[in-house]
Amino acid sequence: MTRKISRTEILAALHKVPLISPSANHLLQVANQEGHGLPDIVNIVKCDAALTAHILKVVNSAALARGREITSLDRAIAIMGEDMIMGIAISDAADRLFQTDLQGYAANRGDLWRHDLRTAIAAKKITPFSRQPVNADLAFTGGLLHDLGKAIISDFLKGTIAEIVTAIETGRFADYPAAEREELGVDHCDIGFELATAWGLPEPLQNVIRHHHHPLEAAEKFRPLCYVVHLGDLIAMMTGSGTGADAMRCNIDPGYTDYIDLDRDDLPRIIFEVETEFNTITLSLSDKGEGSP
Amino acid sequence: MSNLKLVGVGGLAASKTAGDTIKTFALGSCVAVIMLHPPTRGVGMVHVALPDSSIANGNADSRPGYFADTGIPALLKEMAALGCVGPSNRSLLVKLVGGAKVMDPNNVFTIGKRNVLAVKKVLWSLGMGPLAEDVGGNFSRTVSVSIDTGQITISSPGKEDWQL
Repeated sequence: MTRKISRTEILAALHKVPLISPSANHLLQVANQEGHGLPDIVNIVKCDAALTAHILKVVNSAALARGREITSLDRAIAIMGEDMIMGIAISDAADRLFQTDLQGYAANRGDLWRHDLRTAIAAKKITPFSRQPVNADLAFTGGLLHDLGKAIISDFLKGTIAEIVTAIETGRFADYPAAEREELGVDHCDIGFELATAWGLPEPLQNVIRHHHHPLEAAEKFRPLCYVVHLGDLIAMMTGSGTGADAMRCNIDPGYTDYIDLDRDDLPRIIFEVETEFNTITLSLSDKGEGSP
Repeated sequence: MSNLKLVGVGGLAASKTAGDTIKTFALGSCVAVIMLHPPTRGVGMVHVALPDSSIANGNADSRPGYFADTGIPALLKEMAALGCVGPSNRSLLVKLVGGAKVMDPNNVFTIGKRNVLAVKKVLWSLGMGPLAEDVGGNFSRTVSVSIDTGQITISSPGKEDWQL
């Protein structure tokens, strides 16, 4: 396997990605703050007409409205909850990235969004099992954003899948990110981190994006959050929401037990809860022919 | 005319209509239980995600296919409705695909292995057992079954398709 692309070329592609919208950025900053509430979310959303319209459209979908017409943003946000608002805001803000068909991973359009959404829900469900407090909203947002680097490096990985899969199966690489680094000089975590930095995302989110495959490499203060998203990512892949060729081709960090107190009986319950919530959210967002957001 | 019946996570489907294909995507730790009934050319598939419905607190009824203990009886019921089950279940050939593993020394994330074992236990309790299986490994599988030929095709990105 020989490196075909320079890091400079990949960074040039990254800098062509539009900046995240001010309202989405503001929401991400708020999600990072302990003790924030729905009024904080309403105040940000009401300043963004397009986001407000999208939220009202979703809340009036058959899955949520149940025959009532909802015209108040406050009511809409109360019904939908912060997770769904954050999901819509981020998917609107980074729609071009989420909806990329990841040809370099053999993933279809929408697969990245579904994987990230399922990871987000799973990460949030794991937070009560963290040995140290983890902000559940931040875990959700970290899950949504953790793999955005794939949307940027995917084009550079076109034509490499068979070679990478063989290299992993013959033990040459421990996991898919290691093969990406060999092929490109960077992996999707590095590039996602560069994007997060360029967007000015809060530091915990930058760390989640950079260390979600190897959370032990994160600074101690970020590790609980990174482990939560690491396990959420695995749950998403295990339950059929992967992003193509790299699905299941990564390793669990067995040191998660130092940060997360899960046992054999907890995991099936979490998986079932994630499935239920994932279906509710995707059904709501796909009503009225929107497809994946 | 070819007709594709897609099975989602926790879903199931059965058919004996010529030209039909039953398919499920991206099996990670989930297990596709495939039943073939050669006398009628009937085929069924259930996409099992978890071993045991007891964790669903009574909510398994809406998605019986999600669990091994409810999914396999539900698939048998579908097969019976198509006339694909004889006086015993022994005329059914069963094959298993999926159950990819996560190497977790703490034995918590080993859902793939637990799914395969749970599926086998349910089958054994019904006097059945898998004739063939393609399970384990650390990769995702997509599987389809042709009603015309009973041929099971497995695919995974970066690998040539193979048959079971």
